[in-house]
Amino acid sequence: MSETSSLLSLRGVVKVYDTGEVPFTALRGIDLEVHTGEFVGIIGKSGSGKTTLINMITGIDHPTSGEIVVAGTRVHALSENELARWRGRTIGVVFQFFQLLPTLTVLENVLLPMDFCHMWTPRERTARAMYLLEQVELADQADKLPAALSGGQQQRAAIARALANDPPILAADEPTGNLDSKTAEAVFGLFEGLVQQHKTIIMVTHDNDLAQRVRRALHVSDGQIAEERVLRPRHGA
Amino acid sequence: MRSVRVTKVLRDLSSHWFRTLLVVLSIAIGVFAVGVILGGRQVLVREFDREYAASQPPNAVLYTAPFDERIVRDVLEYPGVEAALGRRSAEVRYSWRGSPGLRTLRVVAYEDLESISVQKVVPEQAGHWPPGRGEIVLESSAKQTGDYRVGDVFTIAREHDDPVGVKVVGFAHDVNAFPAQFSGAETGFVSFATLPDLGLPQTFDQLLVVFDQDGLTQRSASRVAEGIARDVFEANGIAVYATDVPKPGSHFLGDIFKAVSLLLLALGILALALSGFLVTNTVSALMAQHIKQVGIMKAVGGHASQVTAMYLGMVGVYGVMAVAIGLPAATVTGKWFIGYAADILNIRVVSHAPPGWVTALEIAVGLIVPLLAAVVPVHAGTRMSVAHALSAAGVPTTEFGHGRFDRLLGGVRGLPRPVALSLRNTFLRKGRLALTLATLTLASAVVMSVFCVQSSIDRTIDDLDAWWRYDMEIRYERPVDAQVLEREIRAVDGVSDVESWITAPTSLARADGTRNETLVTQGVPADTTFVAPSVTSGRWLEPGDTDAVVVNTDALKAEPDLGVGRRVTLAMLGRERTWRVVGVVKGQMGGPALFTTRDALATCLGDAAVSRSVVKSTTSDAQEQQQTLERIERRLEEAGYAVAETHTVADLRDQVASQLGILVSFLVIMAALLASVGVIGLTGAMSINVIESTREIGVMRAIGATHDSIYRIFTTEGLVVGLMSWALGAVVAYPLSYYLTAGLSQTIGVPLTYRFSWSGVGLWCAAIGVISIVASLAPAFRASQVSVRDAIAYE
Ligand SMILES: Nc1ncnc2c1ncn2[C@@H]1O[C@H](COP(=O)(O)OP(=O)(O)OP(=O)(O)O)[C@@H](O)[C@H]1O
Ligand SMILES: [Mg+2]
Repeated sequence: MSETSSLLSLRGVVKVYDTGEVPFTALRGIDLEVHTGEFVGIIGKSGSGKTTLINMITGIDHPTSGEIVVAGTRVHALSENELARWRGRTIGVVFQFFQLLPTLTVLENVLLPMDFCHMWTPRERTARAMYLLEQVELADQADKLPAALSGGQQQRAAIARALANDPPILAADEPTGNLDSKTAEAVFGLFEGLVQQHKTIIMVTHDNDLAQRVRRALHVSDGQIAEERVLRPRHGA
Repeated sequence: MRSVRVTKVLRDLSSHWFRTLLVVLSIAIGVFAVGVILGGRQVLVREFDREYAASQPPNAVLYTAPFDERIVRDVLEYPGVEAALGRRSAEVRYSWRGSPGLRTLRVVAYEDLESISVQKVVPEQAGHWPPGRGEIVLESSAKQTGDYRVGDVFTIAREHDDPVGVKVVGFAHDVNAFPAQFSGAETGFVSFATLPDLGLPQTFDQLLVVFDQDGLTQRSASRVAEGIARDVFEANGIAVYATDVPKPGSHFLGDIFKAVSLLLLALGILALALSGFLVTNTVSALMAQHIKQVGIMKAVGGHASQVTAMYLGMVGVYGVMAVAIGLPAATVTGKWFIGYAADILNIRVVSHAPPGWVTALEIAVGLIVPLLAAVVPVHAGTRMSVAHALSAAGVPTTEFGHGRFDRLLGGVRGLPRPVALSLRNTFLRKGRLALTLATLTLASAVVMSVFCVQSSIDRTIDDLDAWWRYDMEIRYERPVDAQVLEREIRAVDGVSDVESWITAPTSLARADGTRNETLVTQGVPADTTFVAPSVTSGRWLEPGDTDAVVVNTDALKAEPDLGVGRRVTLAMLGRERTWRVVGVVKGQMGGPALFTTRDALATCLGDAAVSRSVVKSTTSDAQEQQQTLERIERRLEEAGYAVAETHTVADLRDQVASQLGILVSFLVIMAALLASVGVIGLTGAMSINVIESTREIGVMRAIGATHDSIYRIFTTEGLVVGLMSWALGAVVAYPLSYYLTAGLSQTIGVPLTYRFSWSGVGLWCAAIGVISIVASLAPAFRASQVSVRDAIAYE
């Protein structure tokens, strides 16, 4: 595959945390290419560096060395502020603990990224937010505060928010980690649907069942990609 | 459509209404304090200056033998004289519906009440001006000493005649008059036509002069006044008994006023600083709580400047609300405060409106100070990287506990960002404690210092009590023969002993040829048991002293020439001779005074007649002493003696105490204001602690803590902070109260003997204990209401 056709590429990414008494190398030279429409699962045992890796991709954290190019943007070279704007439009982030803003309603939480990034006209924003909430089957909960929602509902709201600016990429760190298996299944189903719509999804998960079902699984161990498994090559699908 | 960002700001404000209330109150109290204190000060100073300047205050007052309009015209011709006015002033004794006994009234009579050119008086709206024959207009400060009303009739005692009634027809304000509550005597203005009714001649006995103000000093004024006395009065055979030359442009209450105004300024600035502390505290805590939300907003595309704008907008809303509360509250309270202070200081307030800059400052304090306080924490919060923002808030703070100090140390080397964050967290908490403590400590120190000032005043009065060994005092219009007089007094029921003194106005010839005309010499029996002098150097009078004079500390301070061993030339009632200073005694607050033996003074004056009697009572009951004094006065009047003034020592002490009490009452108001700033600060800090401890509280609840035990944990925390501030405040109060007392003493010119108030410290300990528990009730209640579910949801 040529370099230009990959949506996302990591070259020799190293991350050293020097917070502790001894500096700790969490990522030891990661090389990775992801193409448009791929559904990538990242698995590995606790402390292996999965969150660190996904934070490199979303620009939430900076690499110590190495290059990260996402949709033609050299992420590692952006400032915090440039990152915020870029991320808002390019990557939808889904957190393990949902992270909805407690004082905003579900609808307002979904509106917020469009507001920040000045996407669409105000009228279109509401229509779009409602459309996204319908997609995640939350339209009837739009005016509730997050605290009044179940965990699964909150996570679906968070996914709707992640999709607000119609980003090509969705990055999720253990999105089902706090959900029961049935709800987790529903969220996973949502992701599969998004992949159908040519979104690229990168998802960290602990759930072995789910890990089995992603098309491409990266096994992270000790800060390196130890194993890569491609279940169903997409070509011809 | 309203932007979601604006929605979030408004939603945060309303859903955390308790925090909003606290922040708004913290800011509002600063706005309020600035408005009341600085506004009050500015208005009082402005009104005082305006009125004083408009009153044409005299540069010299000559007390003389009778004279008439021709002399006044001559004085007006005298070089350097701008304006001159003759008037008659006399003290009479009167009774009215408000007082059973006799009181002293200072009657001031003008020939032409319509055009008073010097020391102008301003008639009040109610009542009428000028008073006609048989009518009197009271100086406004009388309202402070009694319930005087238009229509009251004063029954005035007359020497050789039956009492006469004069009717109160109005009030007029004289900014130069000594306020009644200070002097114990009311002042009233009458026309010349009324003088014969009071048994007084229709001539002047006082000349008020205003000099050319160009380069005028007290010295030069003194010289012109002496010239007038010599060239106009004495040249016409009119005796000048005394001349009073005040420092040009300085009002006699100016020093007290300056002290009060300085105090207000200092406290205003202090209140402002404390309010700034509170705001910094709350905004920092707010940002600490919102770090994770900041992280989330940035993770979904929020630009740092957008997030910053949201939080500064929030603080802006706090500010607007605070100004909306603080400004009107300050206006209302300020008006009350100005009225209160103006009554006490006898200032006529025309406009209560503070100058525009005070209002501008109030708005600035409300809007700009919070924004300034917010800039650093908001900036720190929004610049934080998303990764750190998310992890910082996601982990319970207690888990950091142990390594925190290590990290703090580690951070000194190069401050990596995660270290900077935890260091900042630590600082936020320590900083909050420090700020809360600082606020409460300052308030405590000021409160305890006020106790100390009160205690020093009490001690000073105790010292006076030690000097006074008599209970009552009677002053006569004219010198009288002591022997007959004392026989009369002794015969009165309730009198245990009596002694009489000679009082002579005294002029001291200074080495440089100038004179001090303001001294008074008392001739007292050398073996008197009526005063107990506290000798600071040299000795007290001894029987057989012929040229010995003892001076008090006030006299020594005014005239350093009066040191022990010095020979001084004193002129008394026109007789000049040399005396030897043999001792210095502690002053008695009556101003500079000299003491000689009665015999020596009688010899010097060539007259043994006495001018005052001091009486010991058989009882220590103030009420009974007052009755005895009234009996004495009646008996003396019947025997044909003209009594000028009487008072009990208890009254005098109360008067002194109430004068000094004015300062204390100002201090108390200010201390209360500071204490409320401190209390709001404590409540605020406690609430922040509760919010930040929500998770811990939930965990405690989960493992079996009852509502009560949570409640107790937080009230105890409040109590501990309160008591810490008390202990620190006591340490600060020790020097603070000393300098405060010394400073007050200096500015008002009253020598106060400093005494630390241990009882005040004890009292405040109890008070701050109660206050800090009360201050933490609301936060503790909120803490006790935290459910396990809330705590987990708080994530
Ligand atoms: N801020 C940090 N400072 C220091 N070390 C860190 C920091 N964040 C993570 N680490 C370390 O880096 C390693 C990788 O962490 P990471 O969070 O990426 O693991 P993970 O694979 O996501 O684990 P989990 O499955 O438990 O979420 C861990 O050993 C962790 O201790
Ligand atoms: Mg992880």
